[in-house]
Amino acid sequence: MVVFAIIIGCLLGAIIGMNAPTISYTYSSYLAIAIIAALDSVFGGIASVINKKFDIKIFISGFFGNAVLAILLTILGEKLNVDIYLAAIVVFVWRMFMNLGTIRRYYVEKWTNRVKEMHKNKPEQKENITVADEKQT
Amino acid sequence: MVNKKIISIVLGIMCLALTMGICIQMKTVKKYSTAEGQNYDQNNLRAEVLKYREKYENTLKEIEKIDDELEKNIEEATNQNADLEDARNQIQQGNKLIGTTEVTGPGVIIKLADSEIESSKVLDPSLLVVHDLDIFYIINELKNAGAEAISVNEQRIVSTTAIECGGNIITVNGEKIGSPFTIKAIGLPENLVNLDRTGGYLEKMREAGLTADLKKSNNVTIPKYSGIINYKYAKSIN
Repeated sequence: MVVFAIIIGCLLGAIIGMNAPTISYTYSSYLAIAIIAALDSVFGGIASVINKKFDIKIFISGFFGNAVLAILLTILGEKLNVDIYLAAIVVFVWRMFMNLGTIRRYYVEKWTNRVKEMHKNKPEQKENITVADEKQT
Repeated sequence: MVNKKIISIVLGIMCLALTMGICIQMKTVKKYSTAEGQNYDQNNLRAEVLKYREKYENTLKEIEKIDDELEKNIEEATNQNADLEDARNQIQQGNKLIGTTEVTGPGVIIKLADSEIESSKVLDPSLLVVHDLDIFYIINELKNAGAEAISVNEQRIVSTTAIECGGNIITVNGEKIGSPFTIKAIGLPENLVNLDRTGGYLEKMREAGLTADLKKSNNVTIPKYSGIINYKYAKSIN
């Protein structure tokens, strides 16, 4: 269900984005940093769904709050002639990797558990077969 | 279950916003940057230039808006007063003559472009490009054939227009333009077409390997001159 919603959202967003007008170049650097912030929030949201700690209020406030804060930092950096947005990018990408790690760990564990169960089942079947063979003989 | 529904809806909407932003950003970047720069300074300079260009375009739009307003005001003022109708017509006629209004009518469209032969293969590469004098000569011939309005790459030729060589580009009205050049002229098409006569200048250019095409058109639109014509020294004699 969640996966479906993400895929449908991405597809619809791509279609709308393709047909939307372009923004002016002055603001494109702000949009870029906002995109990174939003990407971080979405990964964080997925990770918290997996951890069963998802809170909509925190998620939405993080989505907009992070984006706005990143844009404000970029503007401030432009005024001070310091590339503060680099720091924001580093933090966001680092958190993205952390969240991605959580997601990856969850699915890897799920997969290994399944493989283990299959392995557990298989030897039993083999034993049954051998037992049956012995009975036939 | 309800909770999960809400979660998926919220996540879906966020993903929608996210991908939309990414697509818009990608389109913007594609539109503005022709080639990626080699280093940081170059990219910064390019961004600066783009910002200035945008400011320039915005200012142009504002000027256009103000012009529209002026026209509207003139219209409103003259609508109530029949005496001013004459004055308005005079203004319009004058604007048309000096080239500060957009005009449309029958005429010709000439396309000039640099030669596609590689410059390293010939002795004199300067023969392979369209020069300011070529354009000057063609404009002169068009005027001789009775052209009423002429533009080069959307730059209106007015009485104060200068055409000069600026290295690998040409400046018209102080604006830099480059190959390919589109010269539009309004006038009697049958007269203007004679520019393409045998032994004429266009044929000479074609013989030199340049692209020079002339097309008749019933609907040529020539933009107005966007600069200011200001006479400081010339005084009229009463």
